[in-house]
Amino acid sequence: MSPDPYSDRVRELFARPGHAGVLEGNCSAAVVDQGVKIRLTAHVRDGRVEAMAFLAYGCPHVIAAAEAACAELEGRSAVELLEFPATGLMQSLSVPVEKTGRILVLEDAVRSLGRVITEMD
Amino acid sequence: MIYLDYAASTPVDPAIIDAMSAAMAAPGNYANPSSTHSEGRQSIDLISAAAERLAALVNTSPDRLIWTSGATESDNLAIFGAATYRQDRGRHLVSMRTEHKAVTDPFATLAKRGFEVTWVDPEPDGRVDLGKLESVLRDDTQLVSIMHVNNETGIIQDIGGIGALCRDRGILYHVDAAQSCGKLPIDLDALPVDLMSMTAHKFYGPKGTGALYIADRKGVHVDPMLFGGGQQRRLRPGTLPTQQIVGFGETAAIAAQRMNQDLAHLRALRDRFWAGIRDLPGLVVNGSLEHGFPGILNVSAEGVEGESLLLALEPLCVATGSACNSKSQEPSYVLRALGRSDELAQSAIRFSFGRPTTDAEIDAAVELYRGAVTRLRQLAPVAA
Repeated sequence: MSPDPYSDRVRELFARPGHAGVLEGNCSAAVVDQGVKIRLTAHVRDGRVEAMAFLAYGCPHVIAAAEAACAELEGRSAVELLEFPATGLMQSLSVPVEKTGRILVLEDAVRSLGRVITEMD
Repeated sequence: MIYLDYAASTPVDPAIIDAMSAAMAAPGNYANPSSTHSEGRQSIDLISAAAERLAALVNTSPDRLIWTSGATESDNLAIFGAATYRQDRGRHLVSMRTEHKAVTDPFATLAKRGFEVTWVDPEPDGRVDLGKLESVLRDDTQLVSIMHVNNETGIIQDIGGIGALCRDRGILYHVDAAQSCGKLPIDLDALPVDLMSMTAHKFYGPKGTGALYIADRKGVHVDPMLFGGGQQRRLRPGTLPTQQIVGFGETAAIAAQRMNQDLAHLRALRDRFWAGIRDLPGLVVNGSLEHGFPGILNVSAEGVEGESLLLALEPLCVATGSACNSKSQEPSYVLRALGRSDELAQSAIRFSFGRPTTDAEIDAAVELYRGAVTRLRQLAPVAA
């Protein structure tokens, strides 16, 4: 049988995206590119992300990456969001090379959220 | 697992497996059908009987059929073979952008070799407008190829009307009948069709066997594409695969007996499925319920990403487009030709039903589809 295009982790994150939704507040960022739409919202206190949520239109890897990014970035500072690299997610989720552009859309959205938080301070 | 991908391929009927096994196991059947000894004649008798059965299914004479490896080879032989045989008559060819790649790719290749190809745009439901088709036919048009049932949308073309336009002008008409042979009535004795491609595996027969019908009419001929033997009037040389052809013959015989019953079953399944999902907002039928083959229902869902939909539908086995295209992330060229946006084309799912499909499977598929579309819409930003 040819290999499954989705790793177990992608399947798990796609099936149960606990961070899917919208958090009410002023911290939000959205990016549309490469056929992908991502909206991130966050609760921020003292310059750090307390909670983060996403909405996404995209392939399973995009949805899984958005879920993983939200989980990973809670507790991080705005500066860390501004420097967020998607390469770690691409590796941990075994994102195929033809989809890396889509995950970079998520990277753009995270950095955009970082800028929003920075401007609020 | 719920298999709703019968337009891609079908399970082989056990009676056909038995017939093929017997064809391989019986003493002497291994002989080359081209040999003149008794064992060879035994093999050719099996092949002749299979030709009788396929010919009966489509109402033609067995000697009008050329065995091939499948519909792709039949399409290639018909298109390249007719175009080159008749190139002195003219080098203008006509087809549609909604054809299977086994037709569009040969036409594109011929265009690179100096032929001129006119692509007729489909109407919004996928059918060809006969007036538009007539308007592109010219004195130097020598071949038209328009399929019977579209593999993605299930739309049924008026092959009688198309063929009549061609015959009036001395133009050859080729039909890719991969999705209709054995599923819809075909009367080649009455239809103005010159070349027709068929395959067994779309209607419960084995893969690896197909046929090309060549009408017994002046000017209808194809140049061969393979060389190396005198088999099949030198049009398609090569040792005939006895057991595959026996399987195709059995497939045809069973289809001839069951066609009306199969059609009623498919219509009931398609209607049950559509009734179960039609109230979801933002659904678009690609094709037409009225003019479509009931074994195929192609539906797009606004605001839903196709690849995620396919994963969310597991364990449903369906297609996002043509099976031959399923590894591509590109939106279906067929649906784009119907005027669908990239997003809408990309969200399309082709559900195709078959003889073994049950009402319980349809009900489970309805539940899965409703749940997946609703969940993915909730997950998507309304406007980013």
